[in-house]
Amino acid sequence: MKPQPPTGKTADPTVYIIDDDRSVRAALEDLLASVSLRAKSFASVQDFLAFDLPGAPACLVLDVRMPGQSGMDFLEHMTEYGLYLPTVMITGHGDIAMGVKAMKDGAIEFLTKPFRDQDLLDAVHRGIEADRTRRLREAANADVARRWASLSSGEKDVARLVATGLLNKQIAADLGVSEITVKVRRGHLMRKMNTRTLADLIRLLDRIQPT
Amino acid sequence: MTNSGKFKLERRLVLTIVLLPVAMVVIFVGDTVTDYAIAAAVFYTPVILVATRLLPAGTVVALAFACVALTLLSFVLTHSGAYEVGIVNTGISIVAIGVTTYLSLKLVAAEAAAHESRERLLRMARITSLGELTASIAHEVNQPLAAIATSAGACRRWLAQEPPAIANAQRAADRIVEDANRASAVIARVRGLASGKAPHRERFDFNALVREVVALAGERGERSGITVRLSLQHDLPAILADRVQVGQVVGNLLLNAVEAIEAKTGGAKTLEIVSETEDRNRIRFSVIDSGAGFRQGELEHLFDAFWTTKKDGVGLGLTISRSIVEANGGRIWAETGRDGGAIARFSLPAGMGAIE
Repeated sequence: MKPQPPTGKTADPTVYIIDDDRSVRAALEDLLASVSLRAKSFASVQDFLAFDLPGAPACLVLDVRMPGQSGMDFLEHMTEYGLYLPTVMITGHGDIAMGVKAMKDGAIEFLTKPFRDQDLLDAVHRGIEADRTRRLREAANADVARRWASLSSGEKDVARLVATGLLNKQIAADLGVSEITVKVRRGHLMRKMNTRTLADLIRLLDRIQPT
Repeated sequence: MTNSGKFKLERRLVLTIVLLPVAMVVIFVGDTVTDYAIAAAVFYTPVILVATRLLPAGTVVALAFACVALTLLSFVLTHSGAYEVGIVNTGISIVAIGVTTYLSLKLVAAEAAAHESRERLLRMARITSLGELTASIAHEVNQPLAAIATSAGACRRWLAQEPPAIANAQRAADRIVEDANRASAVIARVRGLASGKAPHRERFDFNALVREVVALAGERGERSGITVRLSLQHDLPAILADRVQVGQVVGNLLLNAVEAIEAKTGGAKTLEIVSETEDRNRIRFSVIDSGAGFRQGELEHLFDAFWTTKKDGVGLGLTISRSIVEANGGRIWAETGRDGGAIARFSLPAGMGAIE
């Protein structure tokens, strides 16, 4: 499975289910279908990893105890697979320590079987929303990065110095070019970055360069 | 029972308070009047040895220091004999007292640790096997239950749609039936597991078994200051049952009784263990404790699974005891004793004739 390419368009959300119990899988799929949510279920973590995830908002419902890689273990190492799925943990024999660990590892909910159907649906909806927000943010960041990449190196230099608050005259002196050149490059870069104000530009630069 | 307990305690006190100092004074006088060459002070070591059996460690250490002080005082007061020999003998005596104190305290601590770990092992064997068993049963049953609850939720939602999605709801209901059958199959399997192991019945001497178990549990009772009275009928007929299983039940009842007595503050601490013939074909075993007894309504729940009055109990001890006794053709029940404590009893069928 490849990390899903960030796309801006909102495709239909999907709920992924990993549980080794066939009845639980069937029941969960049906419950989600009854509220018009698309679901896809897997009997093991391995099966899930073999699947190519489409770039749509998603949420994962993950059983704790399974043969092979356990749900707890998978949750802990999910980011290493390039996965950032909001995860709802479900377990047949939960205790407080397990719940705390799951939440620390980033689960958005920890439910003990048998759980209330509404609790699961609420958690799943929250997860999908969180994933949608994350995807939109990532898509916007990717867009900014693409724009930045389209700048010439001279324009990037000017952009960096502008962002530090220098005047055109100072930038020209710094880079050893004429003030006219600075003004021209500044015009180009503002257009390429699709921004009108200096404040907007600084905000965009912050997204691609965390420094 | 109460009197014998008090008497025991008093005898210990007499021994501690009177005999040890008397012995020390005698040794002191002996050490002082004899000349340097006679190392009478080494006789302080038996005093220390006795003291470690009876007194707490701090007191023993204080006593050891007192012995050392007396040894030094004797050395100062003695004027006959060779002075150098006196120094050497006094040194040897002090070292002997010190080493004896250290080693005997270590020994007592090691014994206590060994006892503790043995008790923990017994308890762990009892608890963990039950805990693991129940956890896996819970997991097995929870899977279909989760599926049932979820399918029921889906079914309700299909029906609530406008128009109701009848076919989908029906499929969900079918799954519910299927999963309910699966859950009951799990239960049937567990029951089969529990009852499948038929007791291995043999004729054996019940009293001997009781004595064995009491020896195991008795140490703990003694530490808690409980007076244990055994009244085992000497011509008890042999019984026909699974010896290991019956031993578990006896141990369980004794442990319950000891815990009940420990939990109660004040009053007598007595545990009475009785074996007798109930009629020609049955023997009866009773454990009578001086604990707080049963509260209103407790008696009827006593043998229910997962029902317990103990803070960290599992609530399966008496449940399992009952299934064992019944599997061996017996009966188990509880009563309130004359002085408010609890009585746990079971009866078992006798094999023919007494054990020779």
